[in-house]
Amino acid sequence: MNPEPFLQLDRVIHEKGRLAIMSMLAASPELSFIEMRDALNMTDGNLTTHIRTLQESGYISISKSYQNNRPHTTCSLTPSGKKAFTGYINLLEQIIQQNKPKQ
Amino acid sequence: MESNWATEHLQVIRTLMERSAVYRRALAPVMIYNGALGTAAAIIGLAAKIDSPRSFIAYWGCVAAVAIAGSFFLVRRQALKESEPFWSPPTRRVTRAMLPPLVAGTIIGAVGFIYVGSAPPDLANVLGMLLLPVVWIILYGCAFHAAGFFMPRGMRLFGWAFVLGGCAVFALGIPDRITRGQYAHGLMGCFFGLLHLAYGVYLYFTEKRRNET
Repeated sequence: MNPEPFLQLDRVIHEKGRLAIMSMLAASPELSFIEMRDALNMTDGNLTTHIRTLQESGYISISKSYQNNRPHTTCSLTPSGKKAFTGYINLLEQIIQQNKPKQ
Repeated sequence: MESNWATEHLQVIRTLMERSAVYRRALAPVMIYNGALGTAAAIIGLAAKIDSPRSFIAYWGCVAAVAIAGSFFLVRRQALKESEPFWSPPTRRVTRAMLPPLVAGTIIGAVGFIYVGSAPPDLANVLGMLLLPVVWIILYGCAFHAAGFFMPRGMRLFGWAFVLGGCAVFALGIPDRITRGQYAHGLMGCFFGLLHLAYGVYLYFTEKRRNET
């Protein structure tokens, strides 16, 4: 097996929790912190940590506002986040293709 | 094996992407509210003997307006409770998907309301109290089927129940023993009342169970 694609996998996205966040954001223009927390069954602290890592990598952008005097945080993928996520999926597909039994 | 691992990863990504795009807000309360309203409206319509085509169309038009307003109120209340925007992307998608059949139903209802006023009584009865409820039922089913692509899968089946049920009613025609008022209100009560109630109760218990696990 050619190990190349596996080694190219983005370590930031590859982590289970961050991959879940990226997957959800890839399917929706934006999602609130609460929507993600509930859908992924994560604690506030865990989700915050992952979001911060993704934000520092430039993969997601965060917008904070107030709704009914309560803080409201929404996240969305940045163009480089979309590119990185697409690249990650392509690499997974490449790994699958490489390991298909040849006929 | 690496490929199994990669396949599983892709499957997880796909599931999460689907879940993210699915609208889930207040489905059970909205269904139960609409079911209760539809059933009550049918009973009131029968008891009050709203038997003329024009009054029938106007009456159920008002019921629809109350149903839509109440549904939006329930959705908004849940959004406020959870500090989320009311007009979220999933809400927008579902509304856009439902809009064409619902607008068509509204326009057909409005045209029917105007037309039955000047049409011969027999034709007015057939159009206003026999055909129009069937058209509304089928279009409503189409609306739910379209929205079902952005909602849990059961919504599409719910839409199919309306479409096939409406077609079956149209094919079977009116039974001999009942009046046109009983038929029309009964039809509306069964589809817009009891069917919603049944699905709402089912959703209530299944959503509760899912949240508990």
